[in-house]
Amino acid sequence: MKITIGHLYPDLLNLYGDSGNLRCLQKRLEWRGIQAEIHSFTAGDPVDFGHMDLVLLGGGSDREQALACGYLKELRHDFKEFVENDGVVLAICGGYQLLGKYYQSEHATLEGLNILDIYTTWQSKRLVHNIVIHNPIFKAPVAGFENHGGRTHIGSYRPFGKVLAGYGNTEDSGREGVIYKNVIGTYLHGPLLSKNPQVCDYLLSQALKRKYGEPIPLSPLPDELEYRANHDMTRHSIAGYNNCQIIKSLSRRRGTASKRK
Amino acid sequence: MGLKERLAIACAKLANRMIRMTTHKKGGTFPGCLARLIKPDILPVLCDMFHGKVIVTMGTNGKTTVNNILYRTLSAEGKKVLSNSTGANMLNGITTTFVLGADTKGNLDFDYACIEVDELAASQVLPLLRPNCVLLTNIFRDQLDRFGDIDTVLCKIKEALFTVPEAQLIINCDDSLLAALAVLCPNPVVTYGINEQIFDNASRPPALENIFCRICGEKLEYDFFHYGQLGCYHCPGCGWERPRPDFAATAISLNQQGYSFDLNGSHIDSCTDYPYNIYNILSACTALRTMGISTEKSARIINTLDYGNHREGHFLINGSHVQLHLVKNPVGLQQKISLLHRDSTPKDIIFQINDRFQDGIDLSWLWDVDLEYLKTSHISSVTAVGKRRHDMALRLKYDDIPCVCAKSLKQSVWNLSLYGTGNIYIIVNYSGLLPANILLEKLQHKTRRLS
Repeated sequence: MKITIGHLYPDLLNLYGDSGNLRCLQKRLEWRGIQAEIHSFTAGDPVDFGHMDLVLLGGGSDREQALACGYLKELRHDFKEFVENDGVVLAICGGYQLLGKYYQSEHATLEGLNILDIYTTWQSKRLVHNIVIHNPIFKAPVAGFENHGGRTHIGSYRPFGKVLAGYGNTEDSGREGVIYKNVIGTYLHGPLLSKNPQVCDYLLSQALKRKYGEPIPLSPLPDELEYRANHDMTRHSIAGYNNCQIIKSLSRRRGTASKRK
Repeated sequence: MGLKERLAIACAKLANRMIRMTTHKKGGTFPGCLARLIKPDILPVLCDMFHGKVIVTMGTNGKTTVNNILYRTLSAEGKKVLSNSTGANMLNGITTTFVLGADTKGNLDFDYACIEVDELAASQVLPLLRPNCVLLTNIFRDQLDRFGDIDTVLCKIKEALFTVPEAQLIINCDDSLLAALAVLCPNPVVTYGINEQIFDNASRPPALENIFCRICGEKLEYDFFHYGQLGCYHCPGCGWERPRPDFAATAISLNQQGYSFDLNGSHIDSCTDYPYNIYNILSACTALRTMGISTEKSARIINTLDYGNHREGHFLINGSHVQLHLVKNPVGLQQKISLLHRDSTPKDIIFQINDRFQDGIDLSWLWDVDLEYLKTSHISSVTAVGKRRHDMALRLKYDDIPCVCAKSLKQSVWNLSLYGTGNIYIIVNYSGLLPANILLEKLQHKTRRLS
């Protein structure tokens, strides 16, 4: 078995160790004896989406994002087709914003790829925080770090998760990221997949299912360290918050941790 | 000087004395903070009273070292120098330096002030200091949770430089970001750089960033890289290229004592074998020469300087050689990885990773470092301690490097010093530095007493 992963523009869109996501995907395939073929496309390279099972798009500064957008426009048509054909995409921060209609930044309005009907506006207050979100697909809370000036409005799309601590798409929507078909767009750095192996495995199973036409069970891996790191962060980011729901979710989380032992 | 100013100075001095008496440490930023509470514009007042020349050092890595080289060299030349050599480089820290340097009447009897300034504090501090010379070492990705992204930092520095258009700007022209910034600023510019390739592969991070032309947006082409985005670059789009350095290090060689090199006709022997210190020496010497300061004695100073300034320490515990290193960002960690890689003797490594405010609460930068080189660095064991030890262990796991998590640095060092390879590297981030220094001093003392 083999999964082909395309990493778009690591030379432009790689803030906050987002390339670490690639390493997580690759390792978790290899540890299970599944081959991982990696293609890193630098700006200007032609991309053949037909050969891709999974596409990664990282975040960048406003300037780099504008440059990346220029290059990505040429791929727009193929990229959209890939998404509509259930292609698996993980887009972080700047990459997430680029999937939308536009990103109205401090200085200019940047036209997006228009793959999703979402848009982003900029505000001077940056949303910087450790963030914990909850999505029923995943047993444990998803933890990461957010740092963005953009506020993304996802309309009627499903969010990636409900915010337990931190900000998310906007300060007050209580929703983080977006899920559309097999696309996950999110503000979570960390890198996201390192501390959330369940999200990593979710992406991998979707990619395998799409490629081989049937669900392929992934063998369990010893993820204690991943969940400990996740727990360090959830515990830290909850400090200062007084929300019963968070505490409840945390105790649920502790429950799963002790079961793992 | 009004009464309030005098009161502010007196209180700050008193506070400093009390802190020193009770904790045996320097006062840090508190005296300055106190002085500003009493007289909010105490720093501008003192800056007006200062009649010497001011050299400001900024940049992501190396500013404390460069500032110390300047301070030591100028002092050796017999000048009276005011300096924030401990690295307290925000508004309160700089105020502390000035308040404690002043006499009770507010007079500052100094020939020079060597001040390192945090990039984010620059636009606030530079117009007050009115420096004669601003030195920029490099700009790398650092503490993004505090700085935002690199463009924000560059923007802040540019803003600050526009407030002091007469100041002589000294830049590392191997850094394309700084070279592009200098073009936009009104200041007169002097450049320095390294003309030959001396850094090994292990010094370079895996993913290159900031390698797109700041003028036309085309991807830059490099003849060679040093590390980070530093190197010899040119733009195939608009023809913009690395400026020819006014001061260049050439004929660089590494011998027993450390690196030696030629700098515009004079020879420099350093006692450091860390290649990044060539940049630090180079920038300090460029500043001194540009300002027309005699550097007759500086060669001797550079030969005997302690480049570590408590950020790199050597200890002997139970017969084991223990080294302490500070890392703050991916470029810094990559440099340390290269250091480990060059040491061919077996070694134990301890990483202490915290996420306090000073460290930056975000640790994703650990994933921007190529740890692959550790596999061929003769490592006997890796231990992770600190508040975010699991993050470090996790990072290592995804490079297939086994790592043990432990709660106590003290216990880990002690055990390894007794049962390990006898060659221990401790790599800490900022908040762990001072406690680790104190701890290792204590352990060293304890073994001396036991033997």
